[in-house]
Amino acid sequence: MESEFLATATALLAASIRMSTPLTLAGIGETYSEKSGILNIGLEGIMLSGAFFSFITAHYTQSLLLGVAGGCLGGIFIAMIHGYLSIRMGIDQTISGLALNFLSLGLTSFFFLMAFGKTTELPECPVVAPLPIPFLKDIPVIGPALFSQDLFVYGMLIVVIVSYVVLHKMEWGVNILAIGEHPKAAAAAGIDVPKTRYFAALLNGLCGGLAGSYLPLALLGFFMENVTSGKGYIALVVVILGRRHPVGVFLAAILVGAAEALQFRLQTMGTGIPSQVFNMFPYVITVLVLFVSIGKNRTPAALGEPYHQE
Amino acid sequence: MRLLREFGSFAVVLAATCLVATVLVIAVGSDITRAFNSFFGGIFGSFYSITEVLVRATPLILAGLGVAVAFQARFFNIGAEGQLYMGAVAATWIGLYLPPLPIALHLALGLVCGFLLGGLWALIPGFLKGQFQIPEVINTIMFNYIAINLVGILVRTVMSNPESPLPMSARLPDNLHLPLLADPTRLHGGLVIALGCAVLVYFFLYKTTWGFELRAVGVNPRACTCAGISVKKNIVVSSLVSGGLAGLAGSSEILGIHQRLMEGISPDFGYVAIIVALLGKNHPLGVVAAALGIAALQMGANTMQRRAGVPASISLIIMGLLVVLILGRRYFINPTPGEAA
Repeated sequence: MESEFLATATALLAASIRMSTPLTLAGIGETYSEKSGILNIGLEGIMLSGAFFSFITAHYTQSLLLGVAGGCLGGIFIAMIHGYLSIRMGIDQTISGLALNFLSLGLTSFFFLMAFGKTTELPECPVVAPLPIPFLKDIPVIGPALFSQDLFVYGMLIVVIVSYVVLHKMEWGVNILAIGEHPKAAAAAGIDVPKTRYFAALLNGLCGGLAGSYLPLALLGFFMENVTSGKGYIALVVVILGRRHPVGVFLAAILVGAAEALQFRLQTMGTGIPSQVFNMFPYVITVLVLFVSIGKNRTPAALGEPYHQE
Repeated sequence: MRLLREFGSFAVVLAATCLVATVLVIAVGSDITRAFNSFFGGIFGSFYSITEVLVRATPLILAGLGVAVAFQARFFNIGAEGQLYMGAVAATWIGLYLPPLPIALHLALGLVCGFLLGGLWALIPGFLKGQFQIPEVINTIMFNYIAINLVGILVRTVMSNPESPLPMSARLPDNLHLPLLADPTRLHGGLVIALGCAVLVYFFLYKTTWGFELRAVGVNPRACTCAGISVKKNIVVSSLVSGGLAGLAGSSEILGIHQRLMEGISPDFGYVAIIVALLGKNHPLGVVAAALGIAALQMGANTMQRRAGVPASISLIIMGLLVVLILGRRYFINPTPGEAA
């Protein structure tokens, strides 16, 4: 009985990690952006573009590596448009992000239909195989959950660690923090505000594109219209829940991923609880977290404010 | 001169958008004339197609007005989608579970409750912003998802139809329907309500002290505090009115079209409404015009997909591009950023 429980818990944890991987990646990308003062609602569009271009590249070249590269470029493409609009032109970040979501959804659906037509069978692409790490995979519970996964998951773990070091242990992380809090003061201290923000946008696109690639190249093996279906918005949730800290984002994403994994399991068991109860869970928690954090506002002071260089 | 440049740049934006659309149509390998004809045929082709554009425009006008009112007070209401669903919930609830009332009263009650519940749904993020400066963008998005999931739960549990396994509520009584304006088309009284609301919103914003204060808060909250205008109160009021109008869009969809609550009654009306408000420059008249334009664009694109094989998602591309170009053009007219925001 006990070992059965352990096996279920392990399987659930492994599923949670898989579900959380795109959320963590996209969330960390957004963390860079938000810390530098740019709120990018276009994360959904970034992920969708990443998913589409990774799929198209992998489908035609049958190469996973090129697929991932294509996905990253697809994400960077959308993120840099948002960067240009909000950094260079000073356009409202929320609206341009929203417009880019529409644009990305439109473009990917259009080109997907154009390339494959309306078919009943979805075109496929290669999928990464799990790559268990010797020795580490034999650790009970965490072994199967963390170290018997695919390369994306390992990449995600590396991104978490590297981002923690970059944002919290390196000078560049402090610079990013400074321009998100007080761009004018940061500029006076010799930091190139637009350049740093562009770089944050680039990282946002890179991580978001990678997150998007995970869907066709690891989870699904195919692409369809609006394949992200709101995952980009959930990643925004994860950023808030994780308080814009890489490790926090990782943990928040696992929490959301666990809710998702649990919901699948309960659905197959047929408990009669509508799956929406679990879907709603992360959003309600976020609102509560925002509510509880009243007074200790940790939002970057200049978030969403355009900066004009003098 | 400035006006000329304004119009000139607008013409350039339109021309660029048309150019991109044409390129896309050619790229997909469709015949240009055929695509063109089916696009405009889908809008003006028949009396029926015109009424369908108006049916589509109705919720866009209402939700667009809502977003515009909020934007005027600089409350970024991204939550119209959720508020619309809550309005739909309220209208269905009133329609299904209240003892029989005179039809006109019953309809009015459904609409009013749709307004109230939608307003309440926006009031929470509005209050949190007004009172505690909690950013509303993320909060309103959260409330969208909560509302949509709530609808999913309701139609599967307390409001489910006992006679059907499908996730939807029972059908409202047949006579509980907004009057049809041009039977046998689907054009319903919601359009009149929407246009009436546009007039009301115009008077509210531009002819009353409340409206003046609300707009003043949007322009310069700091000066308002100095002048004794309560920023908090006006943000809360704007969120209430904004959510209410979006909720009204939901109840008018239920009482005029669907007659029952189900998932997916809104094909992103609430998000498109943001684009409508933006294109309409947050002015009620502009909102009506923009809503009609976007509705026509969507209906035309649908017909173009059916008859000329051009994916209807071209309308999303056009919408996204229009917004980016229109916002961007201000930068080119007057390249000191800041004016552009």
